[in-house]
Amino acid sequence: MDTLVNVAHGLGVALLPVNLLYCFIGVFIGTLVGVLPGIGPISAMSLLLPVTLSGTPESGIIMMAGIYYGSMYGGSTTSILVNIPGEAASVVTCIDGHQMAKQGRAGPALGISAFGSFIAGTFSLVALMLVAPSLASVAIAFGPAEYFSLMVLGLVVLTFLTQGSMAKALLMACIGVVLGLVGLDSITAQPRLTFGRIELIDGIGLVPVVMGLFGVAEVLLNTEQAIKRDIINAKITQLLPNKEDWKASAGPVARGTVLGFFLGILPGGGAVVASFASYALEKRLSKHPERFGHGAIEGVAGPESANNSAAGGAFIPLMTLGIPPNVVMALLLGAFVIHGLQPGPLMISQNPTLFWGIVASMYIGNLMLLVLNLPMIGMWVQLLRLPYNVLFPLIILFTIIGVYCSSNNVFDVHVMIAFGVIGYFMRKLGYEPAPLVLAFVLGPMLENNLRKSLILSQGDLMTFVERPISAICLAFALVLLVGPLLPSLRRKRELVALDEGA
Amino acid sequence: MNNDTNVKLRLNNSELWGGLIGLALGGFVIWSGLKLKLGTINDPGSGYVLFYTGILMCVFAISIMVAAVTEGGPSFASRWENARWGKPVLVIACLAAFAFALEPLGFLLSAIPLMLLLLRVIDPVRWSLAIPLSILAPLGMWWVLKHLLAIQLPSGLFEIG
Amino acid sequence: MSQRNSWRVLLAAAGMLLSTAAQAQDYPTKPITLIVPWPAGGSTDISMRAIAESASKVLGQPIAVDNKAGGGGTVGPATMAAGAKPDGYTIAQIPITVFRLPLMQEVSWDPAKDFSYIVHLTGYTFGVTTNAESQYKTWQDVVDFAKKNPGKVTYATPGTGTSLHIGMEQIALMAGGIKLTQVPFKGGAETNAAVLGQHTMLQADSTGWRPLVDAGKLRLLMVWTGTRSPNYPDVPTLKELGYPMIYDSPFGIAGPKGMDPKIVAKLHDAFKKAIEDPAVIATLAKYDMVPNYKNTEDYRKFVVEVTESERKVIDTLGLAKK
Repeated sequence: MDTLVNVAHGLGVALLPVNLLYCFIGVFIGTLVGVLPGIGPISAMSLLLPVTLSGTPESGIIMMAGIYYGSMYGGSTTSILVNIPGEAASVVTCIDGHQMAKQGRAGPALGISAFGSFIAGTFSLVALMLVAPSLASVAIAFGPAEYFSLMVLGLVVLTFLTQGSMAKALLMACIGVVLGLVGLDSITAQPRLTFGRIELIDGIGLVPVVMGLFGVAEVLLNTEQAIKRDIINAKITQLLPNKEDWKASAGPVARGTVLGFFLGILPGGGAVVASFASYALEKRLSKHPERFGHGAIEGVAGPESANNSAAGGAFIPLMTLGIPPNVVMALLLGAFVIHGLQPGPLMISQNPTLFWGIVASMYIGNLMLLVLNLPMIGMWVQLLRLPYNVLFPLIILFTIIGVYCSSNNVFDVHVMIAFGVIGYFMRKLGYEPAPLVLAFVLGPMLENNLRKSLILSQGDLMTFVERPISAICLAFALVLLVGPLLPSLRRKRELVALDEGA
Repeated sequence: MNNDTNVKLRLNNSELWGGLIGLALGGFVIWSGLKLKLGTINDPGSGYVLFYTGILMCVFAISIMVAAVTEGGPSFASRWENARWGKPVLVIACLAAFAFALEPLGFLLSAIPLMLLLLRVIDPVRWSLAIPLSILAPLGMWWVLKHLLAIQLPSGLFEIG
Repeated sequence: MSQRNSWRVLLAAAGMLLSTAAQAQDYPTKPITLIVPWPAGGSTDISMRAIAESASKVLGQPIAVDNKAGGGGTVGPATMAAGAKPDGYTIAQIPITVFRLPLMQEVSWDPAKDFSYIVHLTGYTFGVTTNAESQYKTWQDVVDFAKKNPGKVTYATPGTGTSLHIGMEQIALMAGGIKLTQVPFKGGAETNAAVLGQHTMLQADSTGWRPLVDAGKLRLLMVWTGTRSPNYPDVPTLKELGYPMIYDSPFGIAGPKGMDPKIVAKLHDAFKKAIEDPAVIATLAKYDMVPNYKNTEDYRKFVVEVTESERKVIDTLGLAKK
C-alpha cells in the first residue's frame, strides 16, 4: 500500500507541465543521439548537464534520465537498417535485425524492438520500485572472482552459439581480449601493445572497431555482388509486427526482460552481456535454431528487451548504494550531486518526492518514446527503398562522421577503415566478428578482475571454485566448452549453430 | 565438392592460411606478454593475461590448421567465386585515399570527392543525381553537426568547414 | 604553377599563424575536456564536477568531465601528456601519484617536463573503513589480527602507489611490521562496493564512503587528517593512534606541456573563482575537503618539493624502482 501511495505521489510530480516538458526534451534528444551512431548518450548528457542546473533537481534529472533510455530506443534503428550498431549493446540486434531488413521486414523488426523496449522498460521500472532496496545486495555480492567467472561464461556462451567452427570463434574472442588490452595497464599504468603510437595509449576505441567490423565490412561484402540490384530485394509489405510475429516474440521479450533486469544491476558490462545472453538463450530454446542469423524475429525481440530492461536495472545500485554501474549512471550521479543530493542508502527515505517523481516520469517517458517512435518506422523504412548504389556511399559517410564524433580524432577514422578491411576478410574466411566485439568490451574487465582475485586469494586458483556464484558460472562454461567434443552433444550443437557463410 | 573447391594439403587452402595467421598473432602476443613481465601468480604483472591469451590463441590456431589438413577446406578461389572482387578493392582504395586526405584537406574537401567516387565507380549512378548528392549530403551533415550539436569536423589546412 | 602553389602554402601558413594568435585571445571558443582520472561517483569525481561546473560559468563554455580511471589516477594524465594538444581544450586533474609512480616503476611520462601546471585546488580527507558486520571494532583489532595472520588482512585502495597504498604500508611498518595485502581498484565507487560486499576486509579511500558510513553500512576506523573530522568527532586520527603522519594528497589541474601562458592564466583565474564559489565550498565540505589554493608559480615549486619528499618515503618503504 505504501508503494501505491508513493507512486501516486510520484505521478503528481512527474505530471507537472514543466516536468513533462523536460521529460519530452530528454527522450527526444535521446532518440536523436541513439540513431546517430557514435554520438552516444554520454556526450549528449555531459553537454547538457549545465542546462539542467537552472531548474529544480527533479526536472534536471528527469531530462537526463530521458536522454539515457531514449538513446536505448534509438540504438537499434541503424543496426537493423544498415548493420551499423551504435553501441556494444546493439551488436546482437544486427545479426537478425539486418537480415530481416534485407527480406523486406524492416518494419516488423523496428516495431518489435520498439514494443519490446517499451514492455521491458515498463517492467523494469515496476521491479525497480518494488524491489530496489532488497536487490542492492546482488550488486555487491559480485567480487572480483565472480566477475571474472561471469565474463568467462559470457564469452563461452557466445562462442558456443556462433555460426561455424568453434575454434574460429574462440580465436576471435582471444583476439578481442588482446585488442581490448591495448593501451595503459589499468593497474600499473604501463603502456601495452602501443607500438610507440601515442594514439594507442588510450586504447583502441570501441566505436571505430564496431563500425568497421560491421558497417564498413557489410558494405564491402555487398558491393561484390555481381547483380546490379537493391540489397533489399523483397517487397516491403507490412510496417508493424503481425500476429505471428507477436506469438513468436512474446516469450523472448519476457525472458529478455527478466534476464536484462538482473544483469543490468551488475556494475560493468551488464547491458552488453544481457543482450548477448538473451540471444544465446533464445537460440537455445528455439524449435528452429537454424532460422537464427537469417532474420528470426526472436533474435531481435529478446536482446532489444534485455538491453532496455538492463537500463532500468542499472538504476538500482545508483539509487540504493550510490554506486554507478556505468558511465551514464555516473553522469546522473553528477547531476544529483550538483543539485546537492547524495545518492546512497538513505536517499529513498530522505528524498521520497525526488525518487518517486523520477521513477514515475520514466513511465511517462517510455510511453512518449513509443508514441514518438512508431510513426518514425514508416520514415525509416522509406530509406531502404533507395537503390543500394546510392545508399552505400551514404552509409560510409554516416560511419565516418559517427566515428569522428565519438572521439574528435582522425586516427579513429583510420582505425575504422582498417577494421572494415579486416572484417571483410574475416567474413570471407568464415570468422564471425561478434565474439571479437564482446571480448573486446569484456577483455579489460576480465583481466582486471582476474588479477585482483589472484591478489585477494594469494595466488590460490581454488578461489574461483570455492565461491558459489563463480563456481556455477565456470561449471556452465565448462559444460559448453567440453560438450562439443562429445559426439552426441556435438551433433546437437551442429543443429543449434548454423553453417558458416550465412 | 570437387578438388578445386575443397582442398586438403594444398597451398590455396584458405583455412590453413587463416590458422597460420592466427598462430603468428598468438606467437606475437606471447612474446609481448613476456616482454611486459608476467609477475607471479599472487601478484600478476602487466603481461600475465596477454601471455596466457597468446597460448590459447596458438592452441585454437593449431586446431584450425589440423582440421584444415585432415578435413580439408575451401580454396581461396571458391571463396571468391561469383564475386566481383574488384569492387571491394576499389572501395578500399577510395577509403584509404580519403583517410590520408582527411587531416590535411579537412572534412568537406575530402568527403565530397569520396562520395562522388563511390557513387560513380561501383554501380554508376547517373551524374544528375551523383553530383548534387555528393555535395549536399556531406554539407548537410557538416551543417547539422556544427550548428546544432557544436561538433567541429576537421577543417584542414585551408580552414574550410 | 609552382609559384601559385607556394602562394597558397604561404597563405595557409599565414592563416594558421593568425588563427593561433586569435585562439589565445578568444579562448575558449568550444567545450573544454577535463580528464578526471578516477571512476565517476567517487569523491574526486564529484568535487571536480562541482568545481568544473562553477569554472565553466566564468569561462562561458561547458567543461565536459571525462573519467579515465586506472593506474592509481595516472592513466588519465599520462594519456593527456602523450597525445593532447596544448590548446587549453584538454586539461586534467593531477593526483599525487603522477609524481610518485615514476619513482616506483617505469612510466611513460615525466612529471617535471610533460605538464603545464595551472592551479592547485584542494586536498582530501582519507579514512579507513570496514564493513559494519566485520569483527573489527577499532583499528587495534585489525593490528592484533594481522599480527597473528600475516598477509591475511586485505585492503582495497584506489590504486597502487596512491597515498592510500603508501600510507597503509607506512602504518603497517610503524605498527611493528605487520603485513597487509593491498588490492588495487580504480577508485572510490569500486572500493565502496568491495568493502560492502566483504570482498576485502578494509577500504582505504577518500570520503566517497561518507553516505555509507552515515547509513551505518560501513564503520570508519580512522581518519588521516591532522585533527578529527567535525562530521565524525568519535573517530581517531593517525596521530592519536600513534602514527605521527598526516596524509591529504593535495591536487590541482594541469594541461599538456607547452600551453600558451595566456590560456593558462585564463584557466587559472576561472578555477580560482570556482574554489571561492560558496556552492563549490559546500560541495567540497560534504567530502571534508577544503580549498587549498596555490597559483601557477607556487604550484610548480610545490611539485618539485613533493617529488623530493616522496622520494624519501618510497626509499624507506623499499618500493623505489630498481
